[in-house]
Amino acid sequence: MTSPFRFKSFRARILVFFLGLLVLVQAAVFISVNTASIKNARIQIDEALKITAGVFGRIMKEREARLLEAARLLSGDFAFKEAFGTRDHSTILSALDNHRMRIRADVMTLVSMDGEVIADTLNPEKISGEFGLKNLISSAEESEFGEAASVVFIEDRPYQMAVVPLLVPMPDAWICIGFLIDDRFVQELKALTQTQVSLLSNPQAGASVIASTLPLSEREALKAAFSADGPAQTEMELGGDKFVSFAVPISHGKDKVTALLQRSLDEALSPYKRLKSALILLFALGLALSVAGGVFMARTVTRPVRDLAAGVKRIYEGDYSEPVTVEQEDEIGRLASSFNHMLKGLIERDRVRSLLGKVVSSAIAEELLKKEIELGGEEREVTVLFSDLRGFTSLCERHTPQEILSFLNDYFTRISAVIEANGGVVDKYIGDAVMALFGAPLKNEDDAARAVRTAIGMREALKGLNAEFEAKGLPRLSLGVGVNTATVVAGNMGSITRLNYTVIGDGVNLASRLEGLSKKYGVDIIVSASTLALAPGFVYRELDIVRVKGKSEPVGIYEPVGETGAVDEAVVKEMESYHEGLKLYRERRWDLARERFRALREKSPLSLYAIYEERASGLIENPPPSEWDSTTVFHEK
Amino acid sequence: MLKKTGIILFAAFVAAFSSPAFAGSIEFSVNDGKSNPVADAVVYAVPRDGAPLSAPRKAVIDQVDKEFVGYVTPIEKGTAVSFPNHDKLRHHVYSFSEAKRFEIPLYTGTPANPVVFDKPGVVALGCNIHDWMSAYVFVSDTPHFSKASDAGRGRIENIPAGEYDVSVWHPKLKASSKPASVRVKVTDDGASKADLQVALQNVWRAWRAPVASGNGYR
Ligand SMILES: [Cu+2]
Repeated sequence: MTSPFRFKSFRARILVFFLGLLVLVQAAVFISVNTASIKNARIQIDEALKITAGVFGRIMKEREARLLEAARLLSGDFAFKEAFGTRDHSTILSALDNHRMRIRADVMTLVSMDGEVIADTLNPEKISGEFGLKNLISSAEESEFGEAASVVFIEDRPYQMAVVPLLVPMPDAWICIGFLIDDRFVQELKALTQTQVSLLSNPQAGASVIASTLPLSEREALKAAFSADGPAQTEMELGGDKFVSFAVPISHGKDKVTALLQRSLDEALSPYKRLKSALILLFALGLALSVAGGVFMARTVTRPVRDLAAGVKRIYEGDYSEPVTVEQEDEIGRLASSFNHMLKGLIERDRVRSLLGKVVSSAIAEELLKKEIELGGEEREVTVLFSDLRGFTSLCERHTPQEILSFLNDYFTRISAVIEANGGVVDKYIGDAVMALFGAPLKNEDDAARAVRTAIGMREALKGLNAEFEAKGLPRLSLGVGVNTATVVAGNMGSITRLNYTVIGDGVNLASRLEGLSKKYGVDIIVSASTLALAPGFVYRELDIVRVKGKSEPVGIYEPVGETGAVDEAVVKEMESYHEGLKLYRERRWDLARERFRALREKSPLSLYAIYEERASGLIENPPPSEWDSTTVFHEK
Repeated sequence: MLKKTGIILFAAFVAAFSSPAFAGSIEFSVNDGKSNPVADAVVYAVPRDGAPLSAPRKAVIDQVDKEFVGYVTPIEKGTAVSFPNHDKLRHHVYSFSEAKRFEIPLYTGTPANPVVFDKPGVVALGCNIHDWMSAYVFVSDTPHFSKASDAGRGRIENIPAGEYDVSVWHPKLKASSKPASVRVKVTDDGASKADLQVALQNVWRAWRAPVASGNGYR
């Protein structure tokens, strides 16, 4: 993410995205509407102004036509001709005034063909003198029908003036008639066209406003802003209002007069301003709705995501108790249900794992879980411990299977604890027997010693158990343990679908044999010479050298008495005496040996002494051949 | 057209009747300076030695189809002109001209008393009923005058030999321009020539709507 906007939450991102989108779209709509509005207003104003210009032109023409018509009527009026014929000034003047009033004209003047004023309603006293509007007369003279009309100035006041010849019946004078152009006139125009109308004159020499519908205060600004040479259509600011202006020339020449038609852009835009505020309101409403909707939507998306995240965290912390509840059927819902499936799987796996730890030893379970499980093994030195309960069979006869199972579990729990405490691995339980491994799958330097210590520990544990059994009125149990160290094959054995981690080999069998022999020698524990060699920190009582079935080599067997230094002096003394007896025995000095064993037997109840006393007696009675090597052969299993 | 010709013939007859046995004539032409002939121009010759006036005469200006017959009628001072109305409606002929101010209020037929034009000058005739009806009477001080034809030509007959100032008048004669005048010597046996040039201007008249009998004008 190189985006400059970083939002910690997905929700914020969704919100910002959609709000941004909304604002963008709305802004685009707003701008285009605004632009279109202004453009539209301009177009409307343009059209209105052009129409107004047309109307204005028509009105001017109509007024002109009215003036001409009125003058023509007078020109054909016999009474006026008679009056004219009298050459009586007062009569002519009042006839002019009378006619002027008929059409509400503002001025009438009668001018002779050579340009002399005959009578003038504006100057009743004037009975002669040059007529001021030479241009008007000239243009009439030059025209086809001797008529002309124009905007002219009389004493600085503008008039729309028409002139026609007085026909008696030949042209004998000029009848001039005119309307004053004043504010009233432009006000009428404004009422008709809804347009501001201003008439400006003499623009070259600094415009002057002849008449205007604009307030007085804005006329100066109008004068300043107006340019006669500019384009017909302009825009100018008057009184803070923007006006689109359209100039219509209504008189040329020296007395150039221009009509300026104006419409306020702001006024034309006022309906759009209402639209604008409506748009702004809609925008705000849309924004609020979008925020609300966005928050809601984001929540529906992010809340289950947060729930899922919390679920994952719980699992990470080992709490599998609570599945994630998402009541949605969308992608998030499916994710949650997948998550719950996974959780179920994890629970299952964990259960398998803990069960595995129970079914096999936890070390093996670890080993199994750690590695790729495959069949096959490796050779390694392992100390194998077999233990068996003695007197168990008779126990079975007197108790229900449930009770027996309960005893066994009690027993196994205790001795397993001892095994595990010493770093051993329970390989399997076989009925009331236990097979434990030291050195596989995990190797320790003192595996043999651990095994021996375990054996001793098991003997101690059984003592405690027996005390409890006694309290319950149950029979005492005794233990047989065989320990042997040998190189064996360790690994997964069985089929690919069902396998055991275990060890196999002669050494294993030997450990089992040794356990079996223990009863014969009346001891709890038998350790082979190979184990003894690797576990020197104990006091051992040598038992015998045996040849067991399936193994040609004789094996020295020993009973560990306790850890070095932890054994009673008396026991050590007795053991020395016993070992001397054993030595005598092996040196074929059976008489002496028998004496020694008997002496020992009389002091101690160990059945071993009795065994050797008996053996010595037998050998005395039936001396063996010279090749006798003092080993004991066991043919049975 | 027939009537017009009639008047010209009548005028010629009057002229021939009253002229002395031996006399010359002036053949004239009038143009507007742009080689356009000027019809209806009245050309008159004033003897330099001041010839006496001839006897009083009579003239007629008819009204036919709501028009005066003869746009221009030159007459000698003192001529009595009658205005016969040939239409079935009334006319009201008037003039407010300085040379002759008169009025014949609504009449039919020929008014009982002809109008005597006793002052030289131009008399513009109008009709109070029909604004467009317009004609001119040129009241001449001298008996020697004639009117140009449509071709702008004409002849002043029966002029005693002598020196004359020949002048021209026309309704459209530009007021500001100096009236054209040439000096012509007339002999008893021949026709002298006078070529006159005039500057004309527009003279507006009232508009007549087109009618069945002919085109209107303005
Ligand atoms: Cu008439």
